[in-house]
Amino acid sequence: MLSQFIFSGLALGSIYGLVALGFTVIYKATQVFNFAQGMLMVCGAYFAVTASIHLGLPFPLTIAFILVGAGILGIAIYFLLIKPLGGQALLPMIMITIALSIILRAVIELIYGGAPLTLRLPLPSGVFVLGDVRISQLHVTAAVVSWLCMLLFIVFFRRSRAGLLMRATADGYEAAVLSGIRVDRINAAAWAIGTMLAAIGGVFLCQLQLVSVELENIGLLALPAVVIGGLQSVPGAILGGLLVGLIEQLASGYISPKARDIFIYVPLLLILFIRPWGLFGQKELGRV
Amino acid sequence: MSNGVTAYLVRLRHNALPTTLRVIGVAVLLAILLYLPYVLQFRSIFGVRLSNMQLLNIGLSQVNLTLISIIGAVSLNYLTGCAGLVSVGHAAFFALGSMVAAATGMHLKLPFLATLVAAMLAGAMAGVVAGLPSLRVRGLYFVLSTLAIHFIVVFVFAEYQYAFHDVTGVAVGDAKIGSFEIDSGIKWYFFLLPITVLSCLLMRNTLFHREGRAVLAMRDNELAAAAAGIDVRILKLKVFAFSSAFASLAGALQAYYLSNVAAEMYSLNFAIQFIAIIIVGGMGTIGGGVIGAIVWLLLPSILMGAATEVKSGPGDFASFLLAHRPQIVNLIFGSIVALILIFAPHGIAGFLRPLWQRMIGGLPWRGRT
Repeated sequence: MLSQFIFSGLALGSIYGLVALGFTVIYKATQVFNFAQGMLMVCGAYFAVTASIHLGLPFPLTIAFILVGAGILGIAIYFLLIKPLGGQALLPMIMITIALSIILRAVIELIYGGAPLTLRLPLPSGVFVLGDVRISQLHVTAAVVSWLCMLLFIVFFRRSRAGLLMRATADGYEAAVLSGIRVDRINAAAWAIGTMLAAIGGVFLCQLQLVSVELENIGLLALPAVVIGGLQSVPGAILGGLLVGLIEQLASGYISPKARDIFIYVPLLLILFIRPWGLFGQKELGRV
Repeated sequence: MSNGVTAYLVRLRHNALPTTLRVIGVAVLLAILLYLPYVLQFRSIFGVRLSNMQLLNIGLSQVNLTLISIIGAVSLNYLTGCAGLVSVGHAAFFALGSMVAAATGMHLKLPFLATLVAAMLAGAMAGVVAGLPSLRVRGLYFVLSTLAIHFIVVFVFAEYQYAFHDVTGVAVGDAKIGSFEIDSGIKWYFFLLPITVLSCLLMRNTLFHREGRAVLAMRDNELAAAAAGIDVRILKLKVFAFSSAFASLAGALQAYYLSNVAAEMYSLNFAIQFIAIIIVGGMGTIGGGVIGAIVWLLLPSILMGAATEVKSGPGDFASFLLAHRPQIVNLIFGSIVALILIFAPHGIAGFLRPLWQRMIGGLPWRGRT
């Protein structure tokens, strides 16, 4: 049993890690604590529904549709909501993302109706048995794709010119503006990437479960994941996601599904008391 | 003392209308508040019948729930707007209040009013615990600690509900004072109105005293406040206890009013709704909480009434509106919050404030400070 829980925990955790990574990208670039990350994930699932059921696109085009749709959504959010607020206090910035998630949920329910949908994408769906562990191919695919995306992002972030500009903007906004970086474009790109990463996570989650706006609650688990990992840290987000996935599977497997939240949020509270900057984050210095 | 408060007091004295006019204004307001339930109950004004649309589709129960929510919204505004401690865990104290009221009523057989006091005390104590992280972390990290507390309290509530009650929810006893039972909408209205008004006045008046000014100073600049000799740590815990006590009171009242509450009610959305209320109404003022709660709780039924009215009009659009009322309401609310954040950061109260000060500010019985 234990190895079974660990396996599915790691697979789910990879998806959480992906969504959490999208969250961290947005936070690093624009300092926005994005409560709508779960809803962006749901949007990914519904993009898949549109492309595959409503438009009848073949699978590769479905993927392209999801990525382009998520990218445009992210850019639109940045220019319509985040930029006009421009670096306000903490609460307005949090609340605008909450308003965003309320609006997105209403729009999705208006377009697709509130009832959950079934969506079958041509992803491997068989099960093979390894020792006493039943390994679902969907889990493996989700984990592999998540890790590939994370790898791709890290290479982009560390090695490419755009990634360098992004890191520069995150380090010092004013310095970046003064050096002639088009900060707006960089930030919009960060929102686009963050939304895409969430959307990919959403596509896998809606294969493991039904497509519905209630997936948002699962997407919200990205919040404790990033805090446990460390808000500013890219590897922290990934490892935090894995940790949350493991805790969730072990807690709901051995204790009860209801206890899941407790076993995630009590450690969160402890982390906040002992090491507020997270397991991998850097200690923030207070400014006067 | 915070600069804002001084400026506010100076404006109060110079802007105010003549006293007689202001007294008349308050009298009219009181008269409206006293007559309102009868209008809503009997759907007529001075014997003239009003259509549902003329009453904006508002019923007495919505007004009563609004009164309860005003207490919750104002208490959150005290914590977040006045003290600068952003909390997304306010639903937790609602849940706690209703749980304590139900538990003390059922297991200890305490009378109605005593359970309300018990709920407030429990809320204050839990508020101190919930405020402890504020001593160690601030800003975003503190917001997350309140999120964690939300999930923990809701979990405890669910466990209590499944242990002592059934799946449908926690049944709360009747609201009885002695042998007098509060069982009709009008009785509830006249029970809730003074509680709400007194709670708001109490919270407002603290802002004009030493502790309240220390709270505002702490929000404006914590280091400067500490340097001025305010023990910021104790003050934060005090504010938390004070605000949570009122949130728990609101939770207990709501539980009695609905007579049955379930853990699912106190979702994260429930807490978020209160943040939206104070943003729409206006942060950091008591009036902001009141106005926000009124708008937030009464607008849905006004919109739904309007949608029903549109139905008589032509086309598929009307039936589409009618079939998706909750979604339309959410869409409108989400957009209102976004628009207010971008274009009117001080909320509705920001517009109304100058007017209100001329009407009410510096009344004769209000101490000259």
